[in-house]
Amino acid sequence: MKLWPQTLSLRLALMFALSCVLLLGGISVYLYQSLHHEIAWRDDQALAGRIERMDALIEDSQTVEALRRRPQLYENMLGNRDNFLWIVDDAGNTQIEINPVNLPLPVLPRNDGAIQWRTIDRTMPIRLAWRRIEDSSGNLTLIAGKLLTERNQMLAAYRMKVWLALATGGGLAFLLGLAISHRGMRPVRDLAERAAAIDAQHLYLRLEDTSQASELRALRAALNQMLARLEAGFAQLSRFSEDLAHEMRTPLGNLMGQTQQALGRTRTVDQYQDLLASNQEEYERLARMIDNMLFLARTEQPAATVRRERIDLSELATQLCEYFDGLAEERGMKLINRARGTVDADPDLLRRALANLLVNALRYGAPGSAVGIDSRMQGDKVEISVCNLGEPIAQDHLPHLFDRFYRCDSSRNQPGDSGGLGLAIVRSILHLHGGSVTVCSDKEETRFTMLFPPHGVPVQLN
Amino acid sequence: MRILVVEDEKKTADYLQKGLAESGYLVEVALNGIDGQHLALELEFDLIILDVMLPGLDGWQLLQRIRRTSSVPVLFLTARDAVEDRVKGLELGADDYLVKPFSYAELLARVRTLLRRGPPRAVELFQVADLQLDLLRRRVTRQGERIVLTNKEFALLHLLLCREGEVLSRTYIASQVWQMNFDSDTNVVDVAIRRLRAKIDDPYPVKLIQTVRGMGYALEAQS
Repeated sequence: MKLWPQTLSLRLALMFALSCVLLLGGISVYLYQSLHHEIAWRDDQALAGRIERMDALIEDSQTVEALRRRPQLYENMLGNRDNFLWIVDDAGNTQIEINPVNLPLPVLPRNDGAIQWRTIDRTMPIRLAWRRIEDSSGNLTLIAGKLLTERNQMLAAYRMKVWLALATGGGLAFLLGLAISHRGMRPVRDLAERAAAIDAQHLYLRLEDTSQASELRALRAALNQMLARLEAGFAQLSRFSEDLAHEMRTPLGNLMGQTQQALGRTRTVDQYQDLLASNQEEYERLARMIDNMLFLARTEQPAATVRRERIDLSELATQLCEYFDGLAEERGMKLINRARGTVDADPDLLRRALANLLVNALRYGAPGSAVGIDSRMQGDKVEISVCNLGEPIAQDHLPHLFDRFYRCDSSRNQPGDSGGLGLAIVRSILHLHGGSVTVCSDKEETRFTMLFPPHGVPVQLN
Repeated sequence: MRILVVEDEKKTADYLQKGLAESGYLVEVALNGIDGQHLALELEFDLIILDVMLPGLDGWQLLQRIRRTSSVPVLFLTARDAVEDRVKGLELGADDYLVKPFSYAELLARVRTLLRRGPPRAVELFQVADLQLDLLRRRVTRQGERIVLTNKEFALLHLLLCREGEVLSRTYIASQVWQMNFDSDTNVVDVAIRRLRAKIDDPYPVKLIQTVRGMGYALEAQS
């Protein structure tokens, strides 16, 4: 469809012109047909009138002979070069003939009734009306005719004018349509211009509502929503890169600093060993961070899939409680497993998610308090939650808790912590399962809840 | 025992050679796939450590060629821990794999396991210095005194005794004792070791559980 123009206003103008031409054409055809019909009808009536008058003249004149002798009676009735008259007897002899262009006598079927009409087009187009009458000297056929040349010429000229008018009308309609659609499209162009002005540095800009067009309002709202998502995503991405660089810079700085300091002079073997062991810790921190980043990147791929198995929650929680028991006891805390039932999930991923929540609860829970693991069936959804007592998390931190590298308190950067990725991993594991993770925190408890949708029903990710 | 290391990253190859040599193995290093193939087919090895990403001839191709003539154990190293990669390696006939960056202690443990050949001895009674562990009766004694351990403490001690003298990484211990196959960023293993020590080491003059800084823990009676 190369011929179809690419600009909307051109398309609209073309469609406008096309519909105008169709409409005008329809009207023109109708008017032309009416005119044609009217003229033909009038001509026919004139011919019929002529035959009736001849009939009357013949009756008045007693014989045709008498009539022939007084041609002035009918010649002025005809008058011009277009009109014909034949009076023929049954033997085929022409009694009276007015034939300005010498046409041969037309052959017509016998007609004793009302006047009949016929168009004959041999050498020239001619319209004929005829009728047979009874006369005192025998039967006569009266034929009146009219050449159609002039009429056809007139109609042809009229058609020509119609075509011209149609072409001009179409052209004008196209130009008018172009102007109208160009003007009508102005809000769209304005919108496009304003949208084009928003680049990566100006993602905070929004499209303002300057036009009242409701179609554009919807478009503008959709674009603004997209911009908001882009802005949020972009901000998250750049903050994430910054955080990542910062997180990696800390262990790298330690490594470089202490290595340079140690190399400054000769040390004892013990000192070198201390340095290497300390370096090893930093390396492990970096490796862990990279592992977690890779894990996140992989689970956040749209194509990532999960291998689901039926998992006994009580068993899983028991296993994790055993693992973290020692850690809990060191802090004087207790792990209470109240989980029951089953869930269909990837066992490794679920274990990891639950472990991260437990680590979090043990890290921030009040010493001497208990950490509980609960499960609840909500219809066919499964809820698994971990709660702990302790300082409530401020409300403005809650929406960001699951962001990567987010820390409520930057000074809480403890050695061996997950580098702020633990909860982000929980969230991506839940997303992978089509579920979600939420948190609520008040004076009584802080509770993280993982919600697993029923197996086999994919849930729209947000 | 001869080990062939095929690894194009010079530093990695160097430290593997040094480390394995210190652990008493004879080590040959090839820095590309072609040399690796040449060595693997010319000489006899007890184990081949193979990097997957190699110039010339990649690890998969080399593995296929080795498998045509030999059933030597192969441990492959991969930087990509995509599941397909591991499956591919094992399908091609590799015996084990490690994902980079790996801990050296981990590598050494795998190497030892692969070289042990055959199933591990079904030992029921362990003895190191004056420590005894009776697997069947689930009894642990030191200097003849009975020590009561929890299930997990028992499992941990059993693991250390099974791999006596070997350094076990924290990750490995977590996976063997608690089936935790990921790094949970906590000092759970250290806490467990501390508790075990409190029972079997602290009251006695000879300490058996050794901390190897930066690597992990080992159980041995130090001379």
